[in-house]
Amino acid sequence: MPPGAETMAPADDDATLLPLAEAQEGLWFAQRRAPHDPLFNTGQYVELRGPLDRAAFAAAVNQALAEAEALALRFVDTSEGPRQAVDPARRPALVEVDLAAATDPFAAATARIATEMARPVDPLREALAATTLYRLGEGRHVWHLRIHHLAIDGYGILLLTRRVAELYNAAVAGEPAGAPLTPFAVALAEDAAYRAGPKREADAAFWRAAFADRPDAASLATAAASLATAAPAAPPPGAPPFHRASVELGAAARAALDTRAAETGLPWPDVATALAAAFCRRHTGTAEIILGVPHMGRLGSPAARAACMLMNVLPLRVRPDESAPLADFLAATGRDLLRARRHGRYRSEQLRRDLRLVGGHQRLHGPLVNILPFDETPRFAGLEARLEVLSTGPVDDIGFTFRRHGADGAIRLEVDAAPAFYAAGEAAALARRLEAFLAASGTAARLADIPTATPEETRRLVHDLNATAHPVPDTTLAALIEAGMRADPAATALVFGAASMDYATLDRRSAALAGQLAAAGLGPGDLVAVALPRSLELMVALVAVLRAGAAYLPLDLAQPAARLARILASARPRLALAEGTARARLEPQVPVLPPELWAEVAPSTAATTPPQPGDAAYVLYTSGSTGEPKGVVIEHRAIVNRLLWMQAQYGFGPADVILQKTPATFDVSVWEFFLPLICGARLVIAAPEAHRDPVALAALVRRHGVGTLHFVPSMLAAFLAEPAARGLALRRVFCSGEELPAALRDRFHQTLTGELHNLYGPTEAAVDVSFWPAGPDDRSVPVPIGFPVWNTRLLVLDAHGRPAPPGVAGHLHLGGVQLARGYLGRPDLTAERFRPDPFLPGERLYATGDLARVRAEDGAVVFLGRADHQVKIRGVRVELGEVEAALMATGRLRAAVVLARPDAGGTLRLVAYVVPAPGEAGTPADTGSAPGAGTLAGLREALARRLPEAMMPAAIVPLAALPVTANGKLDRAALPAPPQQGLESRPLAGAIESRIAALFAEQLRLGALPGPEDDFFALGGDSLDAVGLLLKLREGAGGDPGFGRDPGLGALFAHPTVAGLARLMEQEGLSDAGLDPLIRLVEGEPGLPPLFVIHPAGGIAWCYGGLARALAPRRTVYGLQAPALDPAVPVAESLEALAADYAGRIRAASAARPVHLAGWSVGGILAQAVAARLAAQGVAVGAVALLDAYPCDVWRAEPDPGEDGALKALLAIAGHDPDRLPALALTRPAVLAFLRATDSPLARLPAAALDGVVRVVAGNNRLVRGHHHRRYPGPLTHFRAALDHRERALDPQMWRPYAAGLEVHDIPALHAHLTGPAASARIAPLLSAALAARERATVADGQAALTHEQDLTSCA
Amino acid sequence: MIDPAAIRRFEAPAAPLTRESLRADIAAMLHETPEAIGDDDSLLDLGLDSMRAMNLVLGWSAGGLDLEFSEFAACPTLAGWWRLVEGRMAARAARR
Repeated sequence: MPPGAETMAPADDDATLLPLAEAQEGLWFAQRRAPHDPLFNTGQYVELRGPLDRAAFAAAVNQALAEAEALALRFVDTSEGPRQAVDPARRPALVEVDLAAATDPFAAATARIATEMARPVDPLREALAATTLYRLGEGRHVWHLRIHHLAIDGYGILLLTRRVAELYNAAVAGEPAGAPLTPFAVALAEDAAYRAGPKREADAAFWRAAFADRPDAASLATAAASLATAAPAAPPPGAPPFHRASVELGAAARAALDTRAAETGLPWPDVATALAAAFCRRHTGTAEIILGVPHMGRLGSPAARAACMLMNVLPLRVRPDESAPLADFLAATGRDLLRARRHGRYRSEQLRRDLRLVGGHQRLHGPLVNILPFDETPRFAGLEARLEVLSTGPVDDIGFTFRRHGADGAIRLEVDAAPAFYAAGEAAALARRLEAFLAASGTAARLADIPTATPEETRRLVHDLNATAHPVPDTTLAALIEAGMRADPAATALVFGAASMDYATLDRRSAALAGQLAAAGLGPGDLVAVALPRSLELMVALVAVLRAGAAYLPLDLAQPAARLARILASARPRLALAEGTARARLEPQVPVLPPELWAEVAPSTAATTPPQPGDAAYVLYTSGSTGEPKGVVIEHRAIVNRLLWMQAQYGFGPADVILQKTPATFDVSVWEFFLPLICGARLVIAAPEAHRDPVALAALVRRHGVGTLHFVPSMLAAFLAEPAARGLALRRVFCSGEELPAALRDRFHQTLTGELHNLYGPTEAAVDVSFWPAGPDDRSVPVPIGFPVWNTRLLVLDAHGRPAPPGVAGHLHLGGVQLARGYLGRPDLTAERFRPDPFLPGERLYATGDLARVRAEDGAVVFLGRADHQVKIRGVRVELGEVEAALMATGRLRAAVVLARPDAGGTLRLVAYVVPAPGEAGTPADTGSAPGAGTLAGLREALARRLPEAMMPAAIVPLAALPVTANGKLDRAALPAPPQQGLESRPLAGAIESRIAALFAEQLRLGALPGPEDDFFALGGDSLDAVGLLLKLREGAGGDPGFGRDPGLGALFAHPTVAGLARLMEQEGLSDAGLDPLIRLVEGEPGLPPLFVIHPAGGIAWCYGGLARALAPRRTVYGLQAPALDPAVPVAESLEALAADYAGRIRAASAARPVHLAGWSVGGILAQAVAARLAAQGVAVGAVALLDAYPCDVWRAEPDPGEDGALKALLAIAGHDPDRLPALALTRPAVLAFLRATDSPLARLPAAALDGVVRVVAGNNRLVRGHHHRRYPGPLTHFRAALDHRERALDPQMWRPYAAGLEVHDIPALHAHLTGPAASARIAPLLSAALAARERATVADGQAALTHEQDLTSCA
Repeated sequence: MIDPAAIRRFEAPAAPLTRESLRADIAAMLHETPEAIGDDDSLLDLGLDSMRAMNLVLGWSAGGLDLEFSEFAACPTLAGWWRLVEGRMAARAARR
């Protein structure tokens, strides 16, 4: 029996059960969390060549396995926690397998080994270790060892392996072997002593102090996580479930480690650890990196020769000073390592608990760096051995292992990366990169001198990915437009509302105006302001300015006078093309030439001077950080490159129809204006303000067959949410201006058909410099900004101007022909942002201020955010500094800070934190409490005079003082979230106010209802929110059925408070379209005949909105509503009269045939009656859908419920069971009061409308009883509420006598829920199919029917 | 570029190991004078850590001695280490 085996009894009784060592505890719980993870298996194999004495080998292995008692551990769960005992029954013994007969014995062995390693081991039930000797042939063996991490660590395996070799060598030589391994009990006793001793307390104090201000552990994977998510790498069965890449350190890297070790007096492993830390930090972009450094935890301990699990992972904080001498950094890190090891017994799991880092994702350290300075290959007498370490335990994130091997000091770098966070190629890239980093450290004076990317990567990043050279004619935008205009003079160039202009006219008028400008002395080098709203004249003006050789400066007259004046003072345009009404705003600084004074014919005297490619084409002003807007000057050559690239890239031609909707002050407008003109395509100009109205846009697209349009992504989101946009077919949609969220890309393809392209570029580089096709198959998260356009370079550079390797965040720089000339009149700013290109002498690079990274797999650039204080609010670039400057310029504040904070829905909004100046009303008292209501009244108005709308803070939060950190810096994290409710005021009054307040809260994601005087825009709403609110007003949200109408954007801007909007909605009352006899619920494909849905008993048809939107293909749906909702209209005499009225309205509304009809309940009775009437008139009737409607005969026998019944019906419509409200008096005022009190959506109708509903319900009861059905000579489609009618025998077959056919669909719903979302989702496809089928059926005789109808009409 | 051949490495000791050469190597590794290393002082208390200990043992092994690091780790004093080195040197001499 080997020594030590009897030191612990194998019995089961509690006395022999021992607690776990601290090192085991952490693993135990990790294993219990992931019982099926085979990563807890550690393992290796040794390939042995030469004459092996198999008997001696087996004896040596079995002896060593017996000495390593921990391998025979058995684990037990007890009420006090896990316990363990050494159980000889679990002791592994060498298994011998002969594979010599296999085709490829080595492959067979490694396959079996891989399978063995991939098998999860349950430490409660199974032996922890197994070992096998595979015989591959004569003199060739592979010895595999697999041990659960609970039983051993890397040091322990080394010890065990060396012990096997020692025993074998002694046996072969016939000599006594050395001392046996130390028994496990010794290690446990030592562990217990440490746990109880004073050293542990001292160690704990050291670590807690060292990590008191712990930053988050950064992972190299943060940047790359999305990659792994995009392409999840499932390891093949049997393969180690992590990516491993190895690289041998070259001579330069090894020499560098040795030189630096000699220079600093540090062991080379500490040099390697320090350099690896600096390397990792380059990838995280954080100031500090926390490495995990495995620690043997046995030096000077009796357990030094115990083969068990004692190792610890020490967290090492490294904050490299890149500009300090390299030796200083290495020495400092070496000191930290030494200190950490001195306190290295203290478990990092315990430290995690001390720091309350609970939860799986809160890690103490990032990458693991493990250095194995020994050649661990065992030496067997007479044999050649090769060691392969398969796994040393779980790979949580990424591990870098430096393994010395062989006799000549070779060092292998192994990178193990978790597939959950790293793509397959990343481990290899990181290994090569770190090797190059080490090699470069040999000659570097400072860390800053070492590049992160390898020379190969640098070549790819600088040159290969930017090989965009493409021949472009050296011409001007003016010349391209002239050529485009003359290609087909008769073709329509521009469409604006009902007006249009052909190319010949555009040519003539722009030439005339250009001549007029030239006659006025304007030409190349001059600037002409253009301040016209979207119109045909705007286009004439822009083309004329370019043809005159001058550059145009678009001006937004809506911006505050002060800002406009600053721009005019800085740009000094010679002339402004603007309406005469703009004179007051412009004339003091620039003369105005209004369209009515423009020449119609070119003056014969003055010839224009055409521009040269190097002349300025336009100047656009953008937000500046100093508070001063900056004018970007773009030359013809730059924009020509951009436009010709786009024309070629996307194949634009004369057949294209392009929408112009971007305001001229934003650079996107430049391609919208001019791309159509150079292609001879058609430009459809959206009405002013239409660019933020999705309904108007959808209508424009449909009406004019627009194929190409641009959206800022947030506007695209609003557009896709608009029912009118669904099902649109577009050729190409371009997004730019802000990040395109992957979810929005996906929603786009679910909602529309068409190409989606993501473009990127600052104003400073002629609109866009990169492109990415975001097609339906694109799975990229995030969506890249893509690849450079022609003659353009994208460079992601680190802080020292070197290319950041793929996957690593850096600063995006742009180069190439599209760069702006610079900032008008600001050579200082120009020099700051446009710098000499270090990679291409003589060229310039523009620093965008954007953070980006290059995707490893394809080189596509991914936008990561802003590096500075600039943000994009709804696509508009905003320098927070400019907003802060404007706040301070009010003279009413002591301090101001502006942040862009995401609101509850994740949308960025500007929040201003202000400290009022002393003496300012409401200045906070010294108590430090925040100022109360009424503070700084008028500040917002003062600000509005200085800032454009997009730059106005959504909230202004007054503070007594700005919070600061310990070192006196602004503590941004301590700034409070802005309150979501406005000032206190009277409570909400009335149902309409309550409804509108609820819709405000819904749209703006407010935590509480706003007050009646709260302003939609002051609460944080912007114009896109306004569009959303209008949609909700129209169609309802959150249980509110909606008003069936909206007041329009203009009215909302004019009446932005809850009370104001409520008054507006109330005033419109019954005259409003929402209660009209015919309303349009949905606008659909123009070619499809519409569906007419007829109101149920209450007379209102809004309930069909959900069903109408769910139809596919999308078709126009009209709702017929009871005319008697209007108190001025009497209730119809008979149901037949009502049907005649509806038939007339239907024929007046649409000439499309066949006429489709549907109705729920009473609406179904009416639908059948209308169908019969239309058929009698010779009108082709399509589908007639009855939603749980039954013939009048059923009701005739029942007594008219009278007024009581109408009120009961009203209660039922509102969702109440009238029979369960016995205490409620059935009088009109009582019921209406009850409905209001219960906050019923019905009660939110204007009072007159509610009266109308009661009247209509009563009237319908009467009409139904008096009606006798005529036969409709076509088929009916019936949707039966299959969950209802248990008490009454209602059967769709009752319709048989009144139709030529009947098709019944059972819908699993109650009658009352038949137009709800769930039932609509079931009915819509069936109804869509029925509509299509009837269209096909009526096509055959359609022409005849139509003729017949016309005959009848003419006779009538 | 550095010429790897020009780098000073932990070469095989020219002279056989002695107690005093061990003391000098330990002192150099700890940035101490040899006198500061007492025979029975705990090298841990003097600032030795596992990586430095490994580096020392590796250096002493470079001459061909088959030193077992775990034995050194078990008794980190100069006296203890010298006993181990002396023993291995004697064993090697016996085999020759």
